[in-house]
Amino acid sequence: MQNTLLLTLLLPTLATPIVYLLGKKSARASSFLIAFICIVDIVLLFTLVPKIFSADHKYVESYYWIQVLHASFTLFVDGISFSMAVITLILILTAAIFSINYMQERRGLAEYYALLMLLSVGLVGVFITSNLMLFYFCWELMLLPSYFIIGEWGYREPYRAAFKFFIFTHAGAVFVLLGIGAIFMVTGGLDMFQAQTALMNADPELAKWILLSLTIGFAVKMAVVPVHMWLPDAHSEAPAPMSALLSGVIIGAGAYAILRVSLLTVFPAVSATGFGKLFLHGLTVFGVISAFFGSLIALVETDIKRIIAYSSIAHMGYVLFGLSFFPSQEPIIGTVLHLVNHAVSKGLLFLSAGAVMKQLEIRDIREMGGLAGKMPITAIASTIAAFSIAGIPSFACFISEFLIFVGAFQTINFDNFYITPIVLMLIATVLSLAYALRFLSHVFLGSARHEKATDAPSFMKSAMIILAILVIVLGVWPTFFIQLITTVSLVQ
Amino acid sequence: MIEFLDVSLPVIVYVPLALLTIPAIKAARKRGKWKNILNFCWFLAVFTIAGATVANLALKYYSKQTPQPFLNLSLIEGSSAIFSSMFLVDAVSIYMVIIFTMVGAVAFIYSLFYIDFNEKFSERYYALMLMIIGCVIGTALAGDLLTLFIFWEATAAGSSFLMLYQKTAESLHATLKYLVMIVIASAFIIYGLSVIYALTGTLNFWAVKHALISLADKHLLEIAFIFIAAGYSIEAAVVPFHMWLPDAYTAAPASSSAFLSALVDQGSYYVLLRVLIYILTPQTVLPWTSMFAVLSALTMVIGNLLALTERNIKRLFAYVCIADVGYNLMAITSVTPLGITGNLYFFLAGGIATALSFMAVGIFNSKGFKTLNDFSGVGRKMPLTSLALTVATFSFIGVPAFAGFMAKYLVFTSAIEGNLSWLAVIGVLTSIIQAAYLLRLISYMYSKKISEENVKIEEPKKLLIPIFILAGAIIALGVYPEAVLCLIEPVIQQFPFMP
Repeated sequence: MQNTLLLTLLLPTLATPIVYLLGKKSARASSFLIAFICIVDIVLLFTLVPKIFSADHKYVESYYWIQVLHASFTLFVDGISFSMAVITLILILTAAIFSINYMQERRGLAEYYALLMLLSVGLVGVFITSNLMLFYFCWELMLLPSYFIIGEWGYREPYRAAFKFFIFTHAGAVFVLLGIGAIFMVTGGLDMFQAQTALMNADPELAKWILLSLTIGFAVKMAVVPVHMWLPDAHSEAPAPMSALLSGVIIGAGAYAILRVSLLTVFPAVSATGFGKLFLHGLTVFGVISAFFGSLIALVETDIKRIIAYSSIAHMGYVLFGLSFFPSQEPIIGTVLHLVNHAVSKGLLFLSAGAVMKQLEIRDIREMGGLAGKMPITAIASTIAAFSIAGIPSFACFISEFLIFVGAFQTINFDNFYITPIVLMLIATVLSLAYALRFLSHVFLGSARHEKATDAPSFMKSAMIILAILVIVLGVWPTFFIQLITTVSLVQ
Repeated sequence: MIEFLDVSLPVIVYVPLALLTIPAIKAARKRGKWKNILNFCWFLAVFTIAGATVANLALKYYSKQTPQPFLNLSLIEGSSAIFSSMFLVDAVSIYMVIIFTMVGAVAFIYSLFYIDFNEKFSERYYALMLMIIGCVIGTALAGDLLTLFIFWEATAAGSSFLMLYQKTAESLHATLKYLVMIVIASAFIIYGLSVIYALTGTLNFWAVKHALISLADKHLLEIAFIFIAAGYSIEAAVVPFHMWLPDAYTAAPASSSAFLSALVDQGSYYVLLRVLIYILTPQTVLPWTSMFAVLSALTMVIGNLLALTERNIKRLFAYVCIADVGYNLMAITSVTPLGITGNLYFFLAGGIATALSFMAVGIFNSKGFKTLNDFSGVGRKMPLTSLALTVATFSFIGVPAFAGFMAKYLVFTSAIEGNLSWLAVIGVLTSIIQAAYLLRLISYMYSKKISEENVKIEEPKKLLIPIFILAGAIIALGVYPEAVLCLIEPVIQQFPFMP
């Protein structure tokens, strides 16, 4: 088909009003519609897999858009984009199914589902465009629906958390905008692939500022430590399906953007200079700081969702650490795979935490305990997710972390700066095992305190089961995604 | 071929229309329940005629793309033409006339329902409004500095009556402040113009420019520039000459504020653009960029900081208008084709957004919600009006899929292109402040959950029509900015050929 990618974006866009109208009649129907559209989108994307494995390793569609700015509506997929887009759609699908029971008693579900559908447009769009203007459009389109979902259906003081989330990420986004404007000024175009070659001839001093401005902007979305303050509030106050998306894909989009725009597009222009090396080392340092900071706070936090939120900061630390080995092949493959694996595992962990919160209506882990017998499916799902987060073999995250470390050790051969960070990072993985086990033992093990607790309703269960199976499958057989990601060449 | 009549018609057509409006609306008012329909018919008639004259001009201009895209048309032909009143037609003025007519129409229909609904009634208000639209269009078409001055001062004078409409002590005070500022400004401008006339012997845009390029001693020109720049800066409310604007816009009825912010504000930016870029071009005539870069930075910072501390919502949006002046000035200062594109797009996007916000705030004010605290929970009491205000605020913040985004993007990019990266960074930082206070408003509107005493308030359906036309326009422009950018494109092509 000629317009597969356009269709992938148009379907959810056009479905948004239908979801809204359907939601007025029956919220359940509109959530099924979202799930259906996600499945159709996934199928559409899978039809492109042969093209990714063909000689070009990518598939591009281009449409007329804003002539004055030389911005065309360019959509493309390569191995990395494909992996991220598919995992996003799977998470939205499970979030929609999970919401049927989870959001049951809430008001305004038509609006909720419409916003969820709109969010999927922004999320998928970010991963499948190579035009910076369209990229920015989708980048902010992730923000608006998330703002309203957190604000309207969140807990405690939701608009406060949503405000923090919006201001932080929007502040980051305007720096991205500044960078995009500068790229347009230097190269006269907005296409990432053309910009890459054009920037090679540009003044390295300017390219340095563009790189910094873009990376700072993306780092806010990614919640790297000095700019992470929005994350714990937003993730813990959002309704569980939204937390799953926030933690799974939205912060992952930040990491993807650093890889795609900062590293693949702008970085080659400065890689020859001393600043290039400094920049990569900077990523390493912030990665290590984030990993330690997130893990340590997750170890002492008592709010069930805040533990997971801080663990997300720690995992974004791993991702940033992995990105800093650019352009070596293995760590980057490992990093992208880690984004996929982390999305599934963290999504599952947030959903199961949401299930616990929903059934018990408490959120302090000190008041929980012994739920394994009462909520077996939730307990199993949580265990799978927590083991994956902790990096235990045969669960998803292990393989990607392993790949990152294998690649990292190779890098020591020619840059001995990395020795200390690698050792520190290995210590951080032990910390993540510690907080994952603490989480499990507090919530599910020990003496049963809640006699009346029952397991989650069926739709919540099925959403968790889908993700749990995926975590195991990705843990035992990551070959498909690894092959996909390997097709992307990092050095042009 | 474009005749003098074709150019003058979009301006003078408003004189009979304004005069006929008084009896027409008076007659309609006596018809009881038919009143609204008759009013609406009159509105349609007025803007069909006005639109037809504009369409005629635009079609004639674009049907024949002459090698000289800047058409000068004077009242008196022949050798003395250079001294007569002149009209100038180029892509910029055509664009301005089109957006003034369209935005003016929406602002007009809002006031038609709003004044009837809220205020003491008078037909003269509408007549005056039409006259002002005519004057603003005249400003956009002016081809010499004197014609520009006359039409622009007429606009300013007319605006004072719109502010005065409620005749409260507060509005009298604000209008007086405005008038004093305007009189000072016009005195400055007249003084500057007389110096320029002495230097060049003409006031026609291009003749002045050519004379100034070859001017050997520029000391006198600098003095003239200071006066003219100060004068027009006062009228555009550039910080530190901004004090009149918040008072005036707060004291005026909402329909006037919407109208003024959408037309007169944008008109004042147009005047700055025309005089600074097209006549006093920095590269060849006078290097004024650093001075206006500082003013632009000041305007953005002060405007946004004042808005951050403001708790009266109408006044808050008045400060947003001031911040917008700063963003516009940034693009003007860059003196690049991209900057002019940004400016022209900003005129429309900013004009629509400010008009929309004043219209929505007008409805809230009429129900008694005035300060930030009053606004808590209105999102649930008046969902439709709140939705419209939310659209406007997101456009101000510059979130994509809303019109304001492309405007801000073009402005920031042009500043980088014009070697003013520091200004672009200040713009970006102030834009974060803007996001903060506008989002605080949204949070207030939606954060309070609905309760017993929190029942829905009926929203005036008629007023929602123009509001949702503008909200729709914001989203349409946000998704497909090419619709307007294609109108602006000829401007960029003309830029290097500027005589």
